Amino acid sequence: MSSEDMPGAGKPDPNPGGRFEFRECRKIIRATGKKAGNLAELMEGIRTASEGSIYHHTQEYFFKGHIIEYTNDFAEWAGRALEERVLSENLSNIDPFRHKSVESLRGELLNSIAAYREKFGSPRRVLPGEEFHFQESVTIVFPAGFRALNLAEFLMAMRFVGSQSIYYHFYEGRRRLEGMDDFSKWIEKAMGLPALAAKIRAIDPFMHSIEGVRDQIVKFVEEALREEIEVSSI
Amino acid sequence: MISQYRGIAPKGQLELLKILGDKLAGRTILNVNSTRAGGGVAELLHRIMPMLAALGVDGRWEVIEGDDRFFDITKKMHNALQGNEEHFTEEMWDHHAWINGRNAENLDLEADFVFIHDPQPVPLIRYKKDGHWIWRCHIDMSAPQRDVAARVMDYARRYEAAVFSVAKFALQMPIPEFIVLPSIDPLSDKNRELTAAEIEETARKFDIPPDRPMVLQVSRFDRFKDPVGVIKAYRMVKKYNDCVLVLAGSPARDDPEGEAVLAEVQNFADGDPDIRILLLPPFSDKEINALQRLATVILQKSVREGFGLTVSEAMWKGKPVIGGAAGGIPHQIVHGVNGFLVYSVEGAAFRTRQYLNNDEMLKRMGGVAREHVRNNFLITRQVGDYLSICLGVENAGSPVIDIF
Repeated sequence: MSSEDMPGAGKPDPNPGGRFEFRECRKIIRATGKKAGNLAELMEGIRTASEGSIYHHTQEYFFKGHIIEYTNDFAEWAGRALEERVLSENLSNIDPFRHKSVESLRGELLNSIAAYREKFGSPRRVLPGEEFHFQESVTIVFPAGFRALNLAEFLMAMRFVGSQSIYYHFYEGRRRLEGMDDFSKWIEKAMGLPALAAKIRAIDPFMHSIEGVRDQIVKFVEEALREEIEVSSI
Repeated sequence: MISQYRGIAPKGQLELLKILGDKLAGRTILNVNSTRAGGGVAELLHRIMPMLAALGVDGRWEVIEGDDRFFDITKKMHNALQGNEEHFTEEMWDHHAWINGRNAENLDLEADFVFIHDPQPVPLIRYKKDGHWIWRCHIDMSAPQRDVAARVMDYARRYEAAVFSVAKFALQMPIPEFIVLPSIDPLSDKNRELTAAEIEETARKFDIPPDRPMVLQVSRFDRFKDPVGVIKAYRMVKKYNDCVLVLAGSPARDDPEGEAVLAEVQNFADGDPDIRILLLPPFSDKEINALQRLATVILQKSVREGFGLTVSEAMWKGKPVIGGAAGGIPHQIVHGVNGFLVYSVEGAAFRTRQYLNNDEMLKRMGGVAREHVRNNFLITRQVGDYLSICLGVENAGSPVIDIF
C-alpha cells in the first residue's frame, strides 16, 4: 500500500470553509490466501506480506473497538492459538503508531519474534484450524451524516457520531497527516485553539480504544467550552 | 424501509447504505441459491431483497431446481467440504453439472452483479454471459476433503471474486476473496421485540414452565450442531441445577439427513419429560424469537459451523451465548466478555451452571452481547458490505474507495 493509497489520501480537505464534516469508514476484509501455523511461517508471512496486510493486522486492529489483552492480530494469535504468553506480551507492546513507515513496523515485528525464538526456541505448531490468516482490507470512506460549524456543535457530534467515524479521523488520520489527526488539525486551524488541539494530539492512540478516545476528546472539549462560557460571563 | 432501522442500527451504517444505493441505483443484483426455505442463506435472502428494492437497486433471487439425487449429492458435497469423508464418482459430478445446465436454460442469469450461493449452483458460471459474477460460499471449508474441494474450486476460480464468511474458510485461489460476516435482521419476526402476550403464547404452546430455568439450542437437526452433546451437557447440569432443555429446529429442503438425526436425538433423549424436542415448520420465526427470550441460557454447541447466526440472534435478545469454538462462532462471542466459547460437553455444562447460578453475570454479559451485535452483526452492515463489494469488483485492485 503506497501513501497515495492510504484511506483518504489525495482527497479534498474534509473541512472546507471551516466546518468539520465527519466522515466514516468501513473495512471490507480481503483474504490473501497466506497462512501460518508456527512461528517460522508467521515470520515468513510477515516478511512477504503486503504493506496493506501489515497495516491491517496492526493499526487496523484498533478498528475492532474491544482492545483488552492484545493490541494487534499477531499478538492475539500468539496468545490465543500458540498459547505463548511471553511472545504475546512482547508483540502487544509494539506501538504501530510510533512507526513512520510500515517497513519499520515490519522490522520490529520480525525482530521481536526472532528474539523470542532465539531465547525460547520455536513452540509447537497450532492445532488445525487455528492458523494465522493474512488479510488485507478495502476501505470505503463516506460522509457520516454529521457536521460541525463551531466547537459546541463539534462536541454534540462527537457524542453521537459512530465509533467508525472516530476511528477514521483519529486513527487513520495519522497516516494521512503524518502523525496528526483530523480533529486536532481542525481545532487548531479552523477554531484557532492550539492549546486544545495540543491536548487532543497528546492522546495516545495506542493506549485507548476508540470509545476511550471519544471520552477523552469530549472531556477536553467540554472543559474548553466551559472556560469560554465562564470568561464571557464575567 | 431503511428508515425503519433508525434508532436500531448505527447511524453510520444507514448513511453508507443510502450512499451506496444512490451509486448503484437501477443496477441489477441477482442471487442464486438452492432453497427458498430453511437454513441461513434463504433467510438472509428473504430479508435482503426488500432492502435492495428500498435502496433503488434491482435485486432478484432465483432458486435452482433439482431432483432428490441432486440434493443427495449436494448434501454429500456439503459434508465433504466441511471435512467428512464422502465417496464421489464421476457420474455424481456429471449429474451435478447436468442439473445446473438444465437450470441455466430456465433461469434468467442476466444481471450487473450475480451472487451464486454455495456449491450447489456453482457450475452456473459456465453459463455466464455478462456482468460481474461472485461466488458466495457460506460453509466452513477450512479442512475440506481435498478432491471434492478441488472440483468445486475448478468452478470457483472462474468467478471474478469469491466471498467467504470467515477468513479461515477462504480457499487459495487466484481471484480476490472477500470476507463478509453474516448478519441478522432486527426487524424480522425472528428478532423484533415481542409483547409479553406473544411470549406467553409460545410458552403455553410448547409447554415451557414459566417458573423453571430453560436451556435452549436452536438449530437444524444436524450432527455438526451436536444436539446429542447438548443433551449430555444438560444431564451433567441437571445433577446440580433444575432446568428444562429445549432443542428447536426446522427441516430444510436440501438436508435429507435431518430426519435421521432427529430420530437419533429423540432416541438419546429417552423420554425425559424435561427435554422438549421441537421440530418447527419453516417460518416459525416468531416462536423461535419467543423461545430465545424465554430461555435462561442459550447454547450453540456446534462442532462444525458455517457461521452460526443463531448466536447473534440470541445475543440480540440480550442473552450471552455458550458456543462451540467452531466456524464463525468465535467471531460473535468474545470469550468472557459477551459469552463463553467451549470445546467440550464438560465445558458447555460448566458454563451453563455458571450462568444458572449468576444472574448478575447473565445480565451484564447479555447487555454487552446486544451492543456487539448492534455494531457488527445487523443486516444493515451486511447489505453495506455486499454493495461495497459490487463497487470493489468494479474498482478492481483499489484498496480505498472514496464515496463523496
